[in-house]
Amino acid sequence: MTPIVFELYANLERLAGGSECRVETDADVATVGDALTLLARERPELAGSLERCACVSGDTIIRRADALPADRRIALLPPVAGG
Amino acid sequence: MTHVLSHDPVAVDPLLELDAHPECGGLALFVGTVRDHHEGRSVRHLKYTAHEPLAAKVIRDVEHATRERYGVPYVRIVHRLGDLAIGDIAIVCVVRAPHRAEAFDACRYAVDAVKHGAPIWKEEFYTDGSSAFVEGCCIRDDLDEPAPAAHRHHTHTSHG
Repeated sequence: MTPIVFELYANLERLAGGSECRVETDADVATVGDALTLLARERPELAGSLERCACVSGDTIIRRADALPADRRIALLPPVAGG
Repeated sequence: MTHVLSHDPVAVDPLLELDAHPECGGLALFVGTVRDHHEGRSVRHLKYTAHEPLAAKVIRDVEHATRERYGVPYVRIVHRLGDLAIGDIAIVCVVRAPHRAEAFDACRYAVDAVKHGAPIWKEEFYTDGSSAFVEGCCIRDDLDEPAPAAHRHHTHTSHG
């Protein structure tokens, strides 16, 4: 099974020590929410930050209840502070 | 298509379009610059990073929504990314409008919308050698349980 790849930004990248996080799984991961549950289990240091992250596929925000993107990539965007 | 994110220093003049929009009698300009302090800490420099595909889309959507909402013909926003020194330009927002009232209102609306919605992060580097990401706004759109507002919408400091 192709791994699920999470792109990490800002403090999430710092917590994980890298800009990407790959999770290998044989389990059936149907939704974005399922993927996040898996990530929280694999990388407990990120678990507490996921609640306030937006998930993005390409240039579109996706929801927890949405199907896992076909390319199995999810960008995790923590709270923003531009300007 | 015009650029809304810039890895290079931003020049204000070309964004004003003073040789166009003869129907406009008002130009509102906001320029956000890098401040040397934040919540009592002394800031040496900072770094802006972004999820660029979504940030560009959000900023273009804000430009469009601002034109529609205030009925103004020209709204232009550029946000800087990368390493910035104190005093460098972080964001520019220009609004051209027939009259000043809608120019001011539209400019403020657009800057606030970008700060609260575009996936851009500010990492501050302090004079004591430490650094931190500035706490910002959650942009999830499916956090609709009755979570306390303060939880989704932490402190945001504004320029100026």
